[in-house]
Amino acid sequence: MTQVATHHRELIFSPAIRIFHWIRALSIVVLIATGFYISWPFLVAPESSDVLVQGWIRFAHVIFGFALTSVTIVRFYLFFFGRSSIERRSVKDVLSINSWITQIKSYIWMGHLNKAGVYGPLQFVTYVGISLAALFMCITGLVLYANVYHEGFGGLIWEISAWFTALMGGLAQVRIWHHIITWAFIVFMVIHVYMAVWSGIRFKHNSVDSIVSGYDYHKDH
Amino acid sequence: MDTHSALYHRCKSRLAELRETAPRQTVTLDEKLKENGITRREFMTWSASVTALLALPLPFTNLVAEAAELADRVPLIWLHMAECTGCSESLIRTDTPNLDSLIFDHISLEYHETLMAASGWQAEENLEHAMEAYKGNYLLAVEGAIPTANNGAFLTVGCKGHTGMQIVKEAAEGAAAIISVGTCAAFGGVQAAAPNPTGSKGVQDVIDKPVINLGGCPPSEKNIVGTLMYFIMFGKLPALDMFNRPKWAYGARVHDNCERRGRFDAGEFVETFGDQGAKDGYCLYKVGCKGPYTYNNCPTERFNHHTSWPVLAGHGCIGCSEPNFWDDMADFEKPLGRQLLHGVDATADTIGAVILGATVVGIGAHAVASLFAKPLEE
Repeated sequence: MTQVATHHRELIFSPAIRIFHWIRALSIVVLIATGFYISWPFLVAPESSDVLVQGWIRFAHVIFGFALTSVTIVRFYLFFFGRSSIERRSVKDVLSINSWITQIKSYIWMGHLNKAGVYGPLQFVTYVGISLAALFMCITGLVLYANVYHEGFGGLIWEISAWFTALMGGLAQVRIWHHIITWAFIVFMVIHVYMAVWSGIRFKHNSVDSIVSGYDYHKDH
Repeated sequence: MDTHSALYHRCKSRLAELRETAPRQTVTLDEKLKENGITRREFMTWSASVTALLALPLPFTNLVAEAAELADRVPLIWLHMAECTGCSESLIRTDTPNLDSLIFDHISLEYHETLMAASGWQAEENLEHAMEAYKGNYLLAVEGAIPTANNGAFLTVGCKGHTGMQIVKEAAEGAAAIISVGTCAAFGGVQAAAPNPTGSKGVQDVIDKPVINLGGCPPSEKNIVGTLMYFIMFGKLPALDMFNRPKWAYGARVHDNCERRGRFDAGEFVETFGDQGAKDGYCLYKVGCKGPYTYNNCPTERFNHHTSWPVLAGHGCIGCSEPNFWDDMADFEKPLGRQLLHGVDATADTIGAVILGATVVGIGAHAVASLFAKPLEE
């Protein structure tokens, strides 16, 4: 007995996009956890001051901070110059009021979600916002980094960091905004995971798995 | 030393020029030192430490000593604006006359409201005379913020009732260099804290000439005298940082040179004042130290004859040498992450948690509603 395929599959996320998504996800989770320790060191003091608890946690924060910075730069590049135009096509939807209405209606259980690219307009704007937030976190993070690590790369970016510090009105302002914007990522993550799961169930397509496998499935007619 | 040879020669010729001018004091520095029981050796030690303070190589020591002796050739006008005189106190309130206060005494101080004998019309005349006679040559030091609201009417000084703004603008006109002594003069300080009804500003915001900002509430006597010495020696502004503060004094953060830094890296923190950690000299970050956001040389130079400084005494740095420190560094005994944000009286974490809670409730409602929603037609 031969099985007839009822669905066909389509590659929507290139390997690069998937890998960078998960590096970013891991970085953000680690950065939030270590960042909250740096803000309020909640672990008890070690037995000996030879164990640099704060030092190691800051080290992890810096490593994943650089990972996030690199991914943010590459992702901005890929969005504009990547071979597949599946992300760029969404700009068309953002500029169309009808697309906005269609997407918002589909979220309140009214009708299908039709879109030109891989993202809906509201989704796209949210991603642009979180990407800009990531950019801000990387810049403020590097400014704070330059103040702690004075040699090498920190020394290289010292002058521009000082300029940025003056622009923000002092290092305390850089630090407090770095903290406030963290919450954008926390709130975003919760909504993002829910929407990914929900839209897969509601619109009967491959949603969560597509950022792992890269494929979406559509029913044959 | 090679890299500094141009600077060395500049200083040499500057001092030679100063030597040509007439001294403003009848007593030489040498005689003053003898009178106060300070030996030549102590004077040279002081010169060497000022050389190191200014980040200059050792051969400059002789020039520092020479500059100190010639300090009475440089006219200084010191204005008091909206302030508490704490910066002057920082300089003059010493248990014995030490070299820093003696130099301040020796420099040709033309006008200083706290220290001068004159008052009323006579004081006003002294100021006007000094500004006229040394036009283009005098060093102007300003202490205190400049109220600008209502055309500066919140501060009037002297018998003629001039506003502070008017006096500073006039004095700045003929000054060879301008030093803002203390955070108020530099950035507005406490007077400029929200809601700032008097419209107080730093000197740099009311005049359009370069100003050297000596942040600190107060700045240490070393930073004040060091800046005076730098001007006497070179006749120009030192290398300045992002907020126009001399790099030799404000080039590193308090945190960078803090004696408790090892405790910070180890994760050993004082939890409350008076606990065992506090007795053991643990890091004061969790009880609000703002050393990580503050540029100053307090840990290395300290205050009152190098006696102590806030962190050594057991309280965190309050970031007093930074712009807007009264608002930005509050609460002084909590870290920045626990700051109550202006206007909402809640921490960023509280607001974030409330938004997160609202999000979760919204998601829950949406998920439950989805169970009852009409399925999509194929």
